[in-house]
Amino acid sequence: MKLTDAATVIRSKNARPLQITIDLMFEDQARFDLARQSPSLSPANLAGLYGLQQGSVQVLPFPQALAIKLVFDRRTVAGDPGDRDVYGTQQHGPLLGVEL
Amino acid sequence: MSAVGKLRDRFPRGPETRPLPALAASGQLGYGIPEPALKAGLEREPDFIGCDMGSIDPGPHYLGSGQIATSDIMTRRDLGLVLRGARALDVPLLLGTAGCAGARPHLDTTLDMIRAIATEEGLHFRLAAIGADIPADTVKAARRENRLRPLGQMAMPSDEEIDGSTNLVAQMGTEAFRRALDTEADVIIAGRACDTAIFTAVPEMLGFPLGPATHMAKIIECTSICCTPGGRDAMLGTLEGDSFLIESMNPARHATPMSVAAHALYEQADPYKVHEPEGTLHLDDVVYDAVDEHRVRVHGARWEQAAQLSVKLEGAIPVGERGMVLAGAADPRFIAAVDEITEAVEKTGRELLGETLGGDFQLFFRVYGRDGVVPWPDPPAEPPREVFVMVECIAPTADQVKTVLACCKQYLLHHGFPGRLSTAGNIAFPFTPPEVLAGPAYRFSLYHVMQVDALAPLFPIQVEEL
Repeated sequence: MKLTDAATVIRSKNARPLQITIDLMFEDQARFDLARQSPSLSPANLAGLYGLQQGSVQVLPFPQALAIKLVFDRRTVAGDPGDRDVYGTQQHGPLLGVEL
Repeated sequence: MSAVGKLRDRFPRGPETRPLPALAASGQLGYGIPEPALKAGLEREPDFIGCDMGSIDPGPHYLGSGQIATSDIMTRRDLGLVLRGARALDVPLLLGTAGCAGARPHLDTTLDMIRAIATEEGLHFRLAAIGADIPADTVKAARRENRLRPLGQMAMPSDEEIDGSTNLVAQMGTEAFRRALDTEADVIIAGRACDTAIFTAVPEMLGFPLGPATHMAKIIECTSICCTPGGRDAMLGTLEGDSFLIESMNPARHATPMSVAAHALYEQADPYKVHEPEGTLHLDDVVYDAVDEHRVRVHGARWEQAAQLSVKLEGAIPVGERGMVLAGAADPRFIAAVDEITEAVEKTGRELLGETLGGDFQLFFRVYGRDGVVPWPDPPAEPPREVFVMVECIAPTADQVKTVLACCKQYLLHHGFPGRLSTAGNIAFPFTPPEVLAGPAYRFSLYHVMQVDALAPLFPIQVEEL
């Protein structure tokens, strides 16, 4: 199943000016479990997807909200010269092709 | 008697008296408060009204420049709405992070608006303003004494960077609002403040437990964002002691256990912990119960008082003047060769301008349609049909920016590359001049935690009668 079919929300935002946090939210327990167990959403695979160093992506399941949080450091501090996305709201694009 | 005096009288037995309804009127005042929900909220007769005006999301420009992020016209309109509402009910109004960034210029701009509204509308009240500006010497002393800790990838600032920052602020916590309430102010406007502090000062004053109070503050400060569908309508939080009830003042926005739980994720790297100057909010054992399809009751948040007081510092420093060239292209050969072309143009530009300008400028070629937004590790499977090219320059003066951009624009337009067919021009301008000056540019110089012995000396209060 594609992540875009399994998730109801795929949103990206700054967590303060130093990190990007991406929330994946699911409608039911089955889809949340599928995503949580999928190797596609492993820290190693996600680092590759974003071109980041291994070990730099945290994957934090939040079962209370049937959600998975991804966190990684920004390449530039928000608003520094060369930043591409000051609010960090469009950094979810690389996830949209993920197969669970 | 002051609004806060009357509020104390209404709670003779503190939290045992009755639940405490608080109205969050706006999560970012100045972008247009939806009026029907605010009106519905005021009809519920809240014991106090809070509004956040701030955020660090818009980046370092507002803190650096001292400009407020919202328009004057809409900010006045929103301030008028909440001032009239609070004065009509005679309840305290607490406003946090004046003018988006909460430094002295933002606070002064907002104070002038409040004074003008009071005069125009014949409103009379006691106004307390809490400053959040931190002197550079205080920050330098903290660094020397190893009381300054960088967050994340921030570097330790040099003395020059601290002195060169146009504004330095610290996020105040509940303590500052408590002191302002003690002045018997009816309206409190704060410089840079924790969003939660706006809503925790009154509950703390009345003796409500800080775990649920801080958790409720954390949720309602964003108004109806925690609902499904989310929105910007006023939110009512009713603190019951160990639990609280939340409800959107727009009947179309429903707080559900899932939507409210999910809000703990919003803009947070750790959904289980929220750090404040006075302590940490722990959300591991929180339970969300549906009361009906519109309301949720929450309990289980735990407050841990900090052993060491600390404040988060924010500073912004100018990096020069910014300008850009705006252009597009629809030629597949140009699009395929765009990296080689922009590299060559930059090289030519630096050679030409090196002597004239001393070479002291930064250039960024942003190719939208390809990787202007995300630094993708791989090229797209199919090249885009069109791309938008923004050439951004940062240089010490506006004249230098204009010189660099004009030069780059012309060489980008006429750069000859292998296989080129369109020998009359490589890029399309939607208008001329395509060079647009954007004014001073800033970066964050400080995003650090400073340990302190006491909070009160950092956040002075000025009181005036209107």
